[in-house]
Amino acid sequence: MLDNLFADLPNRLNTGILILDKNFNILMWNRFLEVHANKSDKQVIGKSIFTIFPELPRKWFERKLSSVIQLKNQTFCGWEQRHHLFELSHSRPITTDSDFMAQNCTFLPIEVEGEVERICILIEDVTDVCHYQTQLNKALNELALSNRIDGLTQAFNRKHWEECLASEFSRATRYKQELALVMLDLDQFKLLNDTYGHQGGDKVLIETTEVINELLRMGDLFGRYGGEEFAVILPNTELTGAYDVAERIRKTIENNAIEYQGKNINVTVSIGIAVMNEYDTRYEDIISRADIALYKAKNSGRNQVCVAKERSVS
Amino acid sequence: MNAFDLTEDQHDCLQELINVAMGQASDQLARYLDTFVYLKVPSIEQVRSELLFDSLNHDLKATSIVSQGFFGYEGIRGEALLMYQPLDSSRLADLLGYEADELSFDEQMIDLSSILTTTFLNVFASQIDNQMSYSAPRLLSTNLNTINQHIQQQSFNWDYALKVRISYQVTDYSFNCDMVLLIPEEAISNIKAVIDRILADF
Repeated sequence: MLDNLFADLPNRLNTGILILDKNFNILMWNRFLEVHANKSDKQVIGKSIFTIFPELPRKWFERKLSSVIQLKNQTFCGWEQRHHLFELSHSRPITTDSDFMAQNCTFLPIEVEGEVERICILIEDVTDVCHYQTQLNKALNELALSNRIDGLTQAFNRKHWEECLASEFSRATRYKQELALVMLDLDQFKLLNDTYGHQGGDKVLIETTEVINELLRMGDLFGRYGGEEFAVILPNTELTGAYDVAERIRKTIENNAIEYQGKNINVTVSIGIAVMNEYDTRYEDIISRADIALYKAKNSGRNQVCVAKERSVS
Repeated sequence: MNAFDLTEDQHDCLQELINVAMGQASDQLARYLDTFVYLKVPSIEQVRSELLFDSLNHDLKATSIVSQGFFGYEGIRGEALLMYQPLDSSRLADLLGYEADELSFDEQMIDLSSILTTTFLNVFASQIDNQMSYSAPRLLSTNLNTINQHIQQQSFNWDYALKVRISYQVTDYSFNCDMVLLIPEEAISNIKAVIDRILADF
Protein backbone atom coordinates (compact mmCIF):
# COMPACT_ATOMS: atom_id res chain seq x y z
CA MET A 1 0.00 0.00 0.00
CA LEU A 2 2.68 2.45 1.12
CA ASP A 3 4.97 1.11 -1.63
CA ASN A 4 2.35 1.94 -4.24
CA LEU A 5 2.05 5.43 -2.87
CA PHE A 6 5.80 5.95 -3.05
CA ALA A 7 5.96 4.57 -6.57
CA ASP A 8 3.39 7.14 -7.63
CA LEU A 9 4.97 10.03 -5.75
CA PRO A 10 7.40 11.17 -8.51
CA ASN A 11 4.39 11.73 -10.75
CA ARG A 12 2.73 13.96 -8.20
CA LEU A 13 5.70 16.24 -7.54
CA ASN A 14 5.84 19.72 -8.97
CA THR A 15 9.50 19.09 -9.72
CA GLY A 16 10.83 17.54 -12.89
CA ILE A 17 12.78 14.29 -12.55
CA LEU A 18 14.89 13.03 -15.41
CA ILE A 19 17.18 10.01 -15.26
CA LEU A 20 19.95 9.54 -17.82
CA ASP A 21 22.48 6.82 -18.49
CA LYS A 22 26.13 7.70 -19.00
CA ASN A 23 25.57 8.13 -22.74
CA PHE A 24 22.95 10.83 -22.15
CA ASN A 25 20.01 8.63 -23.08
CA ILE A 26 16.80 9.23 -21.18
CA LEU A 27 15.88 6.26 -18.99
CA MET A 28 12.99 7.78 -17.10
CA TRP A 29 11.13 11.00 -16.55
CA ASN A 30 8.14 11.97 -14.49
CA ARG A 31 4.75 13.40 -15.29
CA PHE A 32 5.84 16.99 -14.55
CA LEU A 33 8.30 16.88 -17.46
CA GLU A 34 5.96 14.95 -19.71
CA VAL A 35 3.37 17.69 -19.26
CA HIS A 36 5.66 20.71 -19.50
CA ALA A 37 7.66 19.38 -22.46
CA ASN A 38 4.40 18.24 -24.03
CA LYS A 39 5.88 14.97 -25.28
CA SER A 40 4.81 11.40 -24.57
CA ASP A 41 6.86 8.68 -22.87
CA LYS A 42 6.96 6.82 -26.15
CA GLN A 43 8.67 9.68 -27.97
CA VAL A 44 11.22 10.15 -25.27
CA ILE A 45 12.32 7.04 -23.37
CA GLY A 46 15.55 5.56 -24.74
CA LYS A 47 16.30 8.64 -26.85
CA SER A 48 19.30 10.92 -26.44
CA ILE A 49 18.58 13.97 -24.33
CA PHE A 50 20.06 16.11 -27.12
CA THR A 51 17.46 14.80 -29.56
CA ILE A 52 14.57 15.51 -27.23
CA PHE A 53 15.91 18.86 -26.03
CA PRO A 54 17.98 20.22 -28.95
CA GLU A 55 18.16 23.60 -27.16
CA LEU A 56 20.65 22.20 -24.61
CA PRO A 57 24.15 23.67 -24.83
CA ARG A 58 25.76 20.34 -25.60
CA LYS A 59 29.36 21.00 -24.69
CA TRP A 60 28.45 22.73 -21.46
CA PHE A 61 26.06 19.93 -20.57
CA GLU A 62 28.59 17.15 -21.22
CA ARG A 63 31.18 18.99 -19.16
CA LYS A 64 28.71 19.44 -16.31
CA LEU A 65 27.79 15.77 -16.29
CA SER A 66 31.41 14.65 -16.49
CA SER A 67 32.06 16.36 -13.14
CA VAL A 68 29.08 14.52 -11.65
CA ILE A 69 30.34 11.18 -12.94
CA GLN A 70 34.00 11.65 -12.11
CA LEU A 71 33.76 13.40 -8.75
CA LYS A 72 30.53 11.65 -7.70
CA ASN A 73 29.31 15.07 -6.69
CA GLN A 74 26.01 16.75 -7.13
CA THR A 75 26.10 19.96 -9.09
CA PHE A 76 23.71 22.82 -9.80
CA CYS A 77 22.57 25.25 -12.41
CA GLY A 78 20.57 28.25 -11.19
CA TRP A 79 18.24 30.62 -13.01
CA GLU A 80 20.29 33.66 -12.10
CA GLN A 81 23.16 32.44 -14.27
CA ARG A 82 21.12 30.52 -16.84
CA HIS A 83 17.43 31.36 -17.00
CA HIS A 84 16.56 27.87 -18.22
CA LEU A 85 18.21 24.77 -19.61
CA PHE A 86 15.13 23.03 -20.99
CA GLU A 87 12.52 24.85 -23.02
CA LEU A 88 9.49 24.01 -20.91
CA SER A 89 6.13 25.68 -20.45
CA HIS A 90 5.43 27.12 -17.02
CA SER A 91 2.65 27.87 -14.59
CA ARG A 92 2.41 31.67 -15.06
CA PRO A 93 1.83 32.03 -18.83
CA ILE A 94 -0.74 34.80 -18.36
CA THR A 95 0.66 36.93 -15.57
CA THR A 96 4.38 36.92 -16.42
CA ASP A 97 6.20 37.70 -19.66
CA SER A 98 8.45 34.66 -19.44
CA ASP A 99 8.53 32.48 -22.59
CA PHE A 100 9.96 29.47 -20.82
CA MET A 101 10.03 28.10 -17.29
CA ALA A 102 12.86 29.63 -15.24
CA GLN A 103 14.69 26.69 -13.68
CA ASN A 104 16.92 25.61 -10.87
CA CYS A 105 18.47 22.32 -11.87
CA THR A 106 20.28 19.83 -9.67
CA PHE A 107 22.41 17.05 -11.13
CA LEU A 108 22.72 14.04 -8.82
CA PRO A 109 24.99 11.03 -9.28
CA ILE A 110 23.35 7.63 -8.86
CA GLU A 111 25.96 5.11 -7.83
CA VAL A 112 25.78 1.39 -8.48
CA GLU A 113 28.46 -0.51 -6.55
CA GLY A 114 30.63 2.57 -6.13
CA GLU A 115 30.47 3.72 -9.74
CA VAL A 116 28.21 6.44 -11.09
CA GLU A 117 26.01 4.63 -13.58
CA ARG A 118 23.17 7.08 -13.89
CA ILE A 119 22.48 10.74 -13.45
CA CYS A 120 19.33 12.18 -12.02
CA ILE A 121 18.37 15.73 -12.97
CA LEU A 122 15.88 17.58 -10.79
CA ILE A 123 14.19 20.57 -12.41
CA GLU A 124 12.35 23.12 -10.28
CA ASP A 125 10.03 25.76 -11.67
CA VAL A 126 11.25 29.11 -10.32
CA THR A 127 9.47 31.35 -12.84
CA ASP A 128 7.76 33.02 -9.88
CA VAL A 129 11.01 33.80 -8.05
CA CYS A 130 12.64 35.00 -11.26
CA HIS A 131 9.67 37.24 -12.06
CA TYR A 132 9.56 38.90 -8.64
CA GLN A 133 13.32 39.28 -8.39
CA THR A 134 13.36 40.99 -11.79
CA GLN A 135 10.54 43.32 -10.68
CA LEU A 136 12.42 44.07 -7.47
CA ASN A 137 15.63 44.90 -9.31
CA LYS A 138 13.71 47.17 -11.65
CA ALA A 139 12.07 48.96 -8.71
CA LEU A 140 15.42 49.36 -6.96
CA ASN A 141 16.96 50.89 -10.09
CA GLU A 142 14.06 53.31 -10.45
CA LEU A 143 14.31 54.19 -6.78
CA ALA A 144 18.03 54.87 -7.09
CA LEU A 145 17.32 57.10 -10.09
CA SER A 146 14.47 59.03 -8.45
CA ASN A 147 16.73 59.56 -5.47
CA ARG A 148 19.05 61.57 -7.72
CA ILE A 149 16.56 63.41 -9.91
CA ASP A 150 14.41 66.49 -9.31
CA GLY A 151 10.86 65.37 -10.05
CA LEU A 152 9.76 68.56 -11.84
CA THR A 153 12.70 69.36 -14.08
CA GLN A 154 14.47 65.95 -14.29
CA ALA A 155 17.76 67.71 -13.56
CA PHE A 156 19.85 66.31 -10.67
CA ASN A 157 18.39 67.23 -7.30
CA ARG A 158 20.31 69.37 -4.83
CA LYS A 159 21.52 66.44 -2.72
CA HIS A 160 22.91 64.43 -5.62
CA TRP A 161 24.34 67.53 -7.31
CA GLU A 162 26.25 68.44 -4.13
CA GLU A 163 27.59 64.88 -3.89
CA CYS A 164 28.81 65.23 -7.48
CA LEU A 165 30.47 68.54 -6.65
CA ALA A 166 32.15 67.05 -3.58
CA SER A 167 33.65 64.22 -5.63
CA GLU A 168 34.62 66.48 -8.55
CA PHE A 169 36.20 68.88 -6.07
CA SER A 170 38.36 66.19 -4.50
CA ARG A 171 39.26 64.75 -7.90
CA ALA A 172 40.31 68.18 -9.19
CA THR A 173 42.33 68.80 -6.03
CA ARG A 174 44.05 65.43 -6.21
CA TYR A 175 44.97 65.63 -9.90
CA LYS A 176 45.48 69.40 -9.94
CA GLN A 177 42.80 69.87 -12.59
CA GLU A 178 40.59 72.85 -13.36
CA LEU A 179 37.05 73.00 -12.08
CA ALA A 180 34.45 75.68 -12.77
CA LEU A 181 31.07 76.32 -11.27
CA VAL A 182 28.18 78.19 -12.88
CA MET A 183 25.23 79.20 -10.70
CA LEU A 184 22.18 80.75 -12.32
CA ASP A 185 18.90 82.16 -11.14
CA LEU A 186 15.82 83.06 -13.17
CA ASP A 187 15.20 86.81 -12.99
CA GLN A 188 12.06 88.06 -11.27
CA PHE A 189 10.61 84.58 -11.03
CA LYS A 190 8.17 85.62 -8.28
CA LEU A 191 6.63 88.20 -10.59
CA LEU A 192 6.37 85.56 -13.31
CA ASN A 193 4.58 83.22 -10.91
CA ASP A 194 2.20 86.01 -9.89
CA THR A 195 1.43 86.83 -13.53
CA TYR A 196 1.08 83.35 -15.03
CA GLY A 197 0.37 81.22 -11.96
CA HIS A 198 2.52 78.40 -10.61
CA GLN A 199 1.79 76.18 -13.59
CA GLY A 200 3.24 78.83 -15.86
CA GLY A 201 6.25 79.04 -13.53
CA ASP A 202 6.66 75.27 -13.63
CA LYS A 203 6.61 75.28 -17.43
CA VAL A 204 9.36 77.92 -17.43
CA LEU A 205 11.47 75.81 -15.06
CA ILE A 206 11.01 72.69 -17.21
CA GLU A 207 11.80 74.42 -20.52
CA THR A 208 14.75 76.31 -19.09
CA THR A 209 16.20 73.01 -17.91
CA GLU A 210 15.80 71.54 -21.38
CA VAL A 211 17.46 74.56 -23.00
CA ILE A 212 20.43 74.40 -20.64
CA ASN A 213 20.80 70.63 -21.04
CA GLU A 214 21.24 71.05 -24.78
CA LEU A 215 24.07 73.53 -24.28
CA LEU A 216 26.13 71.30 -21.98
CA ARG A 217 28.83 68.79 -22.80
CA MET A 218 29.07 65.20 -21.66
CA GLY A 219 30.56 65.24 -18.20
CA ASP A 220 29.05 68.57 -17.17
CA LEU A 221 26.83 68.08 -14.14
CA PHE A 222 23.62 70.04 -14.07
CA GLY A 223 21.30 70.28 -11.07
CA ARG A 224 18.42 72.25 -9.60
CA TYR A 225 19.94 73.97 -6.59
CA GLY A 226 16.72 75.38 -5.15
CA GLY A 227 13.43 77.01 -6.29
CA GLU A 228 14.48 78.85 -9.48
CA GLU A 229 18.22 78.48 -8.95
CA PHE A 230 20.28 76.05 -11.03
CA ALA A 231 23.93 75.09 -10.97
CA VAL A 232 26.36 73.48 -13.40
CA ILE A 233 29.66 71.79 -12.53
CA LEU A 234 32.15 72.07 -15.38
CA PRO A 235 35.05 69.67 -14.84
CA ASN A 236 38.37 70.43 -16.57
CA THR A 237 37.21 73.93 -17.49
CA GLU A 238 39.05 77.22 -16.88
CA LEU A 239 37.56 80.69 -16.64
CA THR A 240 37.22 81.59 -20.35
CA GLY A 241 35.59 78.24 -21.08
CA ALA A 242 33.17 78.65 -18.20
CA TYR A 243 32.42 82.23 -19.24
CA ASP A 244 31.60 81.08 -22.78
CA VAL A 245 29.20 78.44 -21.48
CA ALA A 246 27.55 80.97 -19.14
CA GLU A 247 27.14 83.60 -21.86
CA ARG A 248 25.71 81.02 -24.24
CA ILE A 249 23.19 79.92 -21.60
CA ARG A 250 22.26 83.54 -20.84
CA LYS A 251 21.75 84.48 -24.51
CA THR A 252 19.86 81.32 -25.43
CA ILE A 253 17.44 81.75 -22.55
CA GLU A 254 16.97 85.42 -23.36
CA ASN A 255 16.05 84.59 -26.98
CA ASN A 256 13.88 81.60 -26.15
CA ALA A 257 10.23 82.52 -25.78
CA ILE A 258 8.25 79.99 -23.79
CA GLU A 259 4.72 79.47 -24.96
CA TYR A 260 2.13 79.19 -22.24
CA GLN A 261 -1.64 79.29 -22.82
CA GLY A 262 -1.25 81.13 -26.12
CA LYS A 263 1.11 83.74 -24.69
CA ASN A 264 4.90 84.01 -25.00
CA ILE A 265 6.80 84.22 -21.73
CA ASN A 266 10.24 85.80 -21.96
CA VAL A 267 12.69 85.05 -19.18
CA THR A 268 16.25 86.05 -18.45
CA VAL A 269 18.85 84.66 -16.07
CA SER A 270 21.55 86.14 -13.88
CA ILE A 271 24.70 84.04 -13.64
CA GLY A 272 27.64 83.82 -11.25
CA ILE A 273 30.82 81.92 -12.16
CA ALA A 274 33.63 80.73 -9.93
CA VAL A 275 36.75 78.81 -10.88
CA MET A 276 38.42 76.66 -8.25
CA ASN A 277 41.63 78.10 -6.82
CA GLU A 278 44.07 77.40 -3.99
CA TYR A 279 41.96 79.33 -1.46
CA ASP A 280 39.06 76.92 -1.83
CA THR A 281 39.64 74.34 0.86
CA ARG A 282 36.16 72.85 0.80
CA TYR A 283 33.69 72.50 -2.06
CA GLU A 284 31.33 74.82 -0.18
CA ASP A 285 33.85 77.65 -0.65
CA ILE A 286 33.46 77.59 -4.40
CA ILE A 287 29.65 77.53 -4.10
CA SER A 288 29.66 80.54 -1.83
CA ARG A 289 31.94 82.52 -4.16
CA ALA A 290 29.76 81.72 -7.19
CA ASP A 291 26.71 82.66 -5.17
CA ILE A 292 28.16 86.07 -4.30
CA ALA A 293 28.94 86.65 -7.99
CA LEU A 294 25.38 85.67 -8.83
CA TYR A 295 23.99 88.31 -6.45
CA LYS A 296 26.33 90.87 -7.93
CA ALA A 297 24.84 90.06 -11.35
CA LYS A 298 21.36 90.51 -9.89
CA ASN A 299 22.24 93.82 -8.26
CA SER A 300 23.90 95.16 -11.39
CA GLY A 301 20.67 94.95 -13.35
CA ARG A 302 20.13 91.17 -14.01
CA ASN A 303 20.49 89.26 -17.32
CA GLN A 304 24.26 89.24 -17.09
CA VAL A 305 27.22 87.07 -16.11
CA CYS A 306 29.53 88.00 -13.21
CA VAL A 307 32.80 86.35 -12.28
CA ALA A 308 33.59 85.63 -8.63
CA LYS A 309 36.51 87.15 -6.78
CA GLU A 310 39.43 84.85 -5.99
CA ARG A 311 38.62 84.96 -2.29
CA SER A 312 35.32 85.59 -0.67
CA VAL A 313 35.37 88.50 1.78
CA SER A 314 34.65 87.10 5.15
CA MET B 1 36.86 28.93 27.30
CA ASN B 2 33.17 28.34 26.70
CA ALA B 3 30.89 25.43 25.93
CA PHE B 4 31.61 25.69 22.21
CA ASP B 5 35.39 25.54 22.55
CA LEU B 6 37.02 22.36 21.34
CA THR B 7 39.35 20.58 23.76
CA GLU B 8 42.87 20.00 22.55
CA ASP B 9 42.06 16.37 21.73
CA GLN B 10 38.91 17.35 19.86
CA HIS B 11 40.81 20.01 17.95
CA ASP B 12 43.56 17.57 16.96
CA CYS B 13 41.04 14.95 15.93
CA LEU B 14 39.11 17.43 13.75
CA GLN B 15 42.37 18.65 12.26
CA GLU B 16 43.32 15.08 11.39
CA LEU B 17 39.91 14.35 9.82
CA ILE B 18 40.22 17.50 7.73
CA ASN B 19 43.80 16.70 6.71
CA VAL B 20 42.79 13.28 5.42
CA ALA B 21 39.77 14.74 3.62
CA MET B 22 41.98 17.43 2.09
CA GLY B 23 44.42 14.86 0.81
CA GLN B 24 41.73 12.82 -0.91
CA ALA B 25 39.90 15.89 -2.18
CA SER B 26 43.02 17.39 -3.73
CA ASP B 27 43.74 14.06 -5.39
CA GLN B 28 40.24 13.92 -6.89
CA LEU B 29 40.39 17.56 -7.96
CA ALA B 30 43.81 17.10 -9.53
CA ARG B 31 42.49 14.24 -11.61
CA TYR B 32 39.36 16.11 -12.62
CA LEU B 33 41.06 19.42 -13.38
CA ASP B 34 44.17 17.70 -14.74
CA THR B 35 46.53 19.87 -12.74
CA PHE B 36 48.00 19.92 -9.25
CA VAL B 37 45.82 21.40 -6.56
CA TYR B 38 47.51 22.41 -3.32
CA LEU B 39 45.49 22.69 -0.15
CA LYS B 40 47.19 24.54 2.66
CA VAL B 41 47.04 23.37 6.27
CA PRO B 42 43.68 24.48 7.58
CA SER B 43 43.09 26.89 10.39
CA ILE B 44 40.38 26.01 12.88
CA GLU B 45 39.07 28.67 15.19
CA GLN B 46 35.99 29.98 16.86
CA VAL B 47 34.59 33.26 15.64
CA ARG B 48 32.08 35.61 17.26
CA SER B 49 29.26 36.82 15.03
CA GLU B 50 30.19 40.50 15.32
CA LEU B 51 33.76 39.74 14.28
CA LEU B 52 32.84 37.55 11.31
CA PHE B 53 33.45 40.17 8.67
CA ASP B 54 36.72 41.37 10.19
CA SER B 55 37.89 37.79 10.38
CA LEU B 56 36.92 37.03 6.78
CA ASN B 57 38.37 40.26 5.51
CA HIS B 58 41.58 39.65 7.36
CA ASP B 59 41.94 36.26 5.73
CA LEU B 60 41.52 37.44 2.22
CA LYS B 61 40.68 40.64 0.44
CA ALA B 62 37.92 38.83 -1.34
CA THR B 63 35.78 40.50 -3.95
CA SER B 64 33.43 37.64 -4.60
CA ILE B 65 31.83 35.19 -2.22
CA VAL B 66 29.81 32.13 -3.13
CA SER B 67 27.77 30.53 -0.35
CA GLN B 68 26.56 26.94 -0.24
CA GLY B 69 24.72 25.32 2.65
CA PHE B 70 25.50 21.74 3.67
CA PHE B 71 23.62 19.40 5.94
CA GLY B 72 24.12 15.82 7.04
CA TYR B 73 22.88 13.37 9.63
CA GLU B 74 23.37 13.90 13.37
CA GLY B 75 22.83 17.65 13.05
CA ILE B 76 26.07 18.30 11.19
CA ARG B 77 25.42 21.37 9.11
CA GLY B 78 26.74 24.77 8.20
CA GLU B 79 27.57 27.12 5.39
CA ALA B 80 30.57 27.00 3.09
CA LEU B 81 31.86 30.32 1.77
CA LEU B 82 34.15 30.28 -1.24
CA MET B 83 36.11 33.50 -1.40
CA TYR B 84 37.76 34.78 -4.55
CA GLN B 85 40.15 37.58 -5.22
CA PRO B 86 39.84 39.59 -8.40
CA LEU B 87 41.38 37.50 -11.10
CA ASP B 88 41.55 37.09 -14.77
CA SER B 89 38.37 35.28 -15.74
CA SER B 90 40.03 33.60 -18.68
CA ARG B 91 42.22 31.66 -16.25
CA LEU B 92 39.20 30.26 -14.50
CA ALA B 93 37.67 29.21 -17.80
CA ASP B 94 40.96 27.52 -18.79
CA LEU B 95 41.04 25.67 -15.51
CA LEU B 96 37.51 24.36 -15.88
CA GLY B 97 38.03 23.59 -19.55
CA TYR B 98 35.35 25.91 -20.87
CA GLU B 99 35.54 27.95 -24.03
CA ALA B 100 36.01 31.64 -23.23
CA ASP B 101 32.53 32.67 -24.31
CA GLU B 102 30.77 29.50 -23.26
CA LEU B 103 29.54 30.77 -19.92
CA SER B 104 29.71 33.83 -17.77
CA PHE B 105 32.37 34.48 -15.19
CA ASP B 106 29.79 34.28 -12.39
CA GLU B 107 28.69 30.87 -13.58
CA GLN B 108 32.27 29.60 -13.73
CA MET B 109 32.88 30.79 -10.21
CA ILE B 110 29.71 29.17 -8.91
CA ASP B 111 30.56 25.96 -10.74
CA LEU B 112 34.04 25.79 -9.30
CA SER B 113 32.77 26.64 -5.81
CA SER B 114 30.32 23.81 -5.91
CA ILE B 115 33.00 21.39 -7.09
CA LEU B 116 35.47 22.42 -4.37
CA THR B 117 32.89 22.43 -1.57
CA THR B 118 31.18 19.16 -2.38
CA THR B 119 34.40 17.29 -3.17
CA PHE B 120 35.92 18.20 0.18
CA LEU B 121 32.78 17.75 2.26
CA ASN B 122 31.84 14.43 0.66
CA VAL B 123 35.19 13.00 1.65
CA PHE B 124 34.97 14.58 5.08
CA ALA B 125 31.47 13.16 5.58
CA SER B 126 32.59 9.65 4.66
CA GLN B 127 35.33 9.95 7.31
CA ILE B 128 32.69 10.42 9.98
CA ASP B 129 30.24 7.88 8.49
CA ASN B 130 27.96 10.65 7.40
CA GLN B 131 26.48 11.84 4.14
CA MET B 132 26.03 15.44 3.06
CA SER B 133 23.32 17.17 1.10
CA TYR B 134 23.84 20.61 -0.38
CA SER B 135 21.79 23.63 -1.22
CA ALA B 136 22.30 25.35 -4.56
CA PRO B 137 25.35 27.62 -4.41
CA ARG B 138 24.57 31.32 -4.40
CA LEU B 139 26.74 34.22 -5.43
CA LEU B 140 26.49 36.64 -2.51
CA SER B 141 28.27 39.46 -4.22
CA THR B 142 30.99 40.38 -6.62
CA ASN B 143 31.84 43.60 -4.85
CA LEU B 144 33.71 43.98 -1.59
CA ASN B 145 31.66 46.94 -0.37
CA THR B 146 28.39 45.16 -0.89
CA ILE B 147 29.71 42.07 0.89
CA ASN B 148 30.73 44.31 3.74
CA GLN B 149 27.28 45.89 3.88
CA HIS B 150 25.60 42.54 3.44
CA ILE B 151 27.34 41.02 6.43
CA GLN B 152 27.20 44.12 8.60
CA GLN B 153 23.48 44.60 8.04
CA GLN B 154 22.67 41.17 9.38
CA SER B 155 21.73 40.74 12.97
CA PHE B 156 22.88 37.18 13.33
CA ASN B 157 20.90 34.78 15.44
CA TRP B 158 24.08 33.07 16.55
CA ASP B 159 26.92 34.25 18.78
CA TYR B 160 29.64 31.78 17.95
CA ALA B 161 30.57 29.75 14.93
CA LEU B 162 33.31 27.26 14.30
CA LYS B 163 35.38 28.45 11.39
CA VAL B 164 37.59 26.21 9.27
CA ARG B 165 39.57 27.90 6.54
CA ILE B 166 41.32 26.00 3.77
CA SER B 167 43.29 27.69 1.00
CA TYR B 168 43.29 26.23 -2.49
CA GLN B 169 46.13 26.92 -4.86
CA VAL B 170 46.31 25.91 -8.47
CA THR B 171 49.82 27.08 -9.29
CA ASP B 172 49.76 26.07 -12.95
CA TYR B 173 46.96 28.56 -13.50
CA SER B 174 48.11 30.97 -10.74
CA PHE B 175 44.68 30.61 -9.28
CA ASN B 176 43.87 30.89 -5.57
CA CYS B 177 40.78 30.85 -3.45
CA ASP B 178 39.77 30.21 0.12
CA MET B 179 37.11 27.91 1.43
CA VAL B 180 35.67 28.93 4.77
CA LEU B 181 33.38 26.46 6.50
CA LEU B 182 31.21 28.04 9.16
CA ILE B 183 29.39 25.78 11.57
CA PRO B 184 26.73 27.54 13.65
CA GLU B 185 26.79 27.15 17.41
CA GLU B 186 24.00 24.61 17.82
CA ALA B 187 25.79 22.35 15.31
CA ILE B 188 29.10 22.65 17.14
CA SER B 189 27.94 20.44 19.98
CA ASN B 190 26.79 17.90 17.38
CA ILE B 191 30.18 17.82 15.72
CA LYS B 192 31.82 17.59 19.15
CA ALA B 193 29.68 14.54 19.92
CA VAL B 194 30.83 12.90 16.66
CA ILE B 195 34.47 13.70 17.43
CA ASP B 196 34.13 12.29 20.96
CA ARG B 197 32.75 9.06 19.53
CA ILE B 198 35.70 8.75 17.16
CA LEU B 199 38.14 9.50 20.00
CA ALA B 200 36.46 6.85 22.17
CA ASP B 201 36.93 4.26 19.41
CA PHE B 202 40.69 4.70 19.44
